[in-house]
Amino acid sequence: MSQDEKLLIDVGSTYFKVSTDENIEQHFRDFGKDILDDLVHKCGKTIDRFEKNDVHICSSANGGLSALIIGITHSYSLKYATNIAFNSGINIIDTILYQNIEDYSLPSDLVDVVVIVGGIDTKTDIFGANLYNYLEKLNYSNVVFSGSASDAANLQEHVDDVVILPNIIDSRLHIIEDHLKEYLTNLYQQDIEGKEDIKNLYDITANQIFPTPYIVNRALPLIDASFSVVNPFILLDVGGATTDIHYSKDLVDDNIVTENEYDRLVFKKLGVYKSRQSLIFAAQNNEFVYELLTHLKVTENIFFEQTEKATKVLMQLAIFLVLCKISNYSKAYISLKLLAVNSIVLTGGITKVLTTEEIEDIIAFFYKKILASEHRPVTILDSNYDIWTIGAKEKQLCL
Amino acid sequence: MKVVTGVVGNDIHVVANRLMELSLHARGYEVFNLGVNTYLEEFFDAAVETGAEILLISSLNGEAEGWGREVKQLKAKYKYLDNLVMMIGGNLTVGSGHAEDIIPKYKNYGFDLVCHQVDLNTGLDLLETFIADRKITESNQS
Ligand code: B12
Repeated sequence: MSQDEKLLIDVGSTYFKVSTDENIEQHFRDFGKDILDDLVHKCGKTIDRFEKNDVHICSSANGGLSALIIGITHSYSLKYATNIAFNSGINIIDTILYQNIEDYSLPSDLVDVVVIVGGIDTKTDIFGANLYNYLEKLNYSNVVFSGSASDAANLQEHVDDVVILPNIIDSRLHIIEDHLKEYLTNLYQQDIEGKEDIKNLYDITANQIFPTPYIVNRALPLIDASFSVVNPFILLDVGGATTDIHYSKDLVDDNIVTENEYDRLVFKKLGVYKSRQSLIFAAQNNEFVYELLTHLKVTENIFFEQTEKATKVLMQLAIFLVLCKISNYSKAYISLKLLAVNSIVLTGGITKVLTTEEIEDIIAFFYKKILASEHRPVTILDSNYDIWTIGAKEKQLCL
Repeated sequence: MKVVTGVVGNDIHVVANRLMELSLHARGYEVFNLGVNTYLEEFFDAAVETGAEILLISSLNGEAEGWGREVKQLKAKYKYLDNLVMMIGGNLTVGSGHAEDIIPKYKNYGFDLVCHQVDLNTGLDLLETFIADRKITESNQS
């Protein structure tokens, strides 16, 4: 073992990976076991070789935080806050357009954080009784206001324990990310640390445990140095519970001016294990899926099989559905200029299941059917989890 | 008073837009300039976020005709924009056209003031008269 060798561990919702300088192992998690016990059981020997100081862990196993954003327009307050939340590692985001707040039903699950935004600082009397009544009925853990300074006192008076931050919108209608981003990132951090399972992991590391998307984001500016990636690119992280996409900013026509070169978007219910049912549901509701199944020479029955072949098909569907969602065909909150994409990088569990050819086949099908184009971005598989390793190492260099 | 301005649609003619910003400033307005390439929804959303009383749209390349038809329907979705003063100016048709045909059409689309190929300062004088008249009407009503 070299002098400064590090052990890098990534704990996901479905598998964990353990990486040393020579080797990278991946294991399915045993949900009957505590994460630490499971890790020690499967990779105890490797872990034992390292001092606590040399072990770096990141995790997305806490499932992420849910945010409910209440804003006053789609183009500014809601869009800006959603963008900040995704880039802070928040996984589940719902939005409410304040003028119609009475028409929204209350979420049944506990909301981790409610974010209230809207207006430039000189805009007064934005929020009132409708907001306070809604919040009274809502089940949430934290609430933060990052809207017009003129409305802050009002909120403080009517909403218990509200955290007041500087406005995310400046006097020229531009975005200011820092304060809300820091608040949400800290909340995420506290959430990770609060989970019993994850807390135990501090038995084997003396370093802070970071959210996985944060680590991946750090690696993005360095990706083209290690892979033959041609900018602009998108990166799909197809995992067990969610599919995450990171993309170059050049791919959006947007008025949001931020300092990041890359943005992130999450599809919470598009995973192949934990959210298998909702993936199938999404597939059944896509008008092109049957054609795709025919193209893959399988029938709908494949959804009900528990075979390796079924997992493969589901992964292929996940890629197709995500591409549909970020194209003009069915708009998520953002649509990417997919004809300008030069490379598509895939990471996560998917790289262990599908071959480059199988992925290229789906991508070609998508471009042809949905975009009526012969464009074919280069497909790159991150089978050795280099991206995550780069990100984790980068993080540790900065500590 | 607060004014939101910009050039609608895929239009990139920027010169008038810059001049507009300067003139509005000089006349004492607080200006929110969304620049060229701005979509209708962004104009209305900016009016909501800023609390602007006036929306001033430019169109130079002939696109306005198409966007104009969507104004009423889109604005109806907003609950708090009923008092917004709506003004449009520039080249409001493709090729040549007559103001007497163009103005009623755009008024019907929901604009209070329509300036086809009218220079900026004449247009902004009209705006001021319109606002002054409206204030008088309002104070007479109350
Ligand atoms: C420069 C120019 C360009 C440049 C623009 C560079 C830039 N980034 O600004 C380039 C070469 C890129 C260009 C492209 C095009 N252009 Co051009 N362009 C012109 C040109 C020659 C001058 C425009 C200008 O800057 N004028 C100076 C400013 C100060 O004047 P103005 O824009 O007319 O604005 C005045 C008034 O209209 C008024 N005003 C403007 N807005 C408002 C709003 C209100 C409320 C009020 C009261 C007043 C007001 O105030 C201003 C000052 O008085 C005009 C012709 C001309 N001589 O006007 C054509 C012209 C505007 N373009 C035209 C066209 C067709 C195009 C293209 C479609 C050409 C093409 N086929 O590709 C493209 C469209 C690109 C796009 N996506 O928008 C046509 C539009 C015709 C129409 N409406 O039917 C014009 C009129 C030329 C013509 N006679 O055919 N163009």
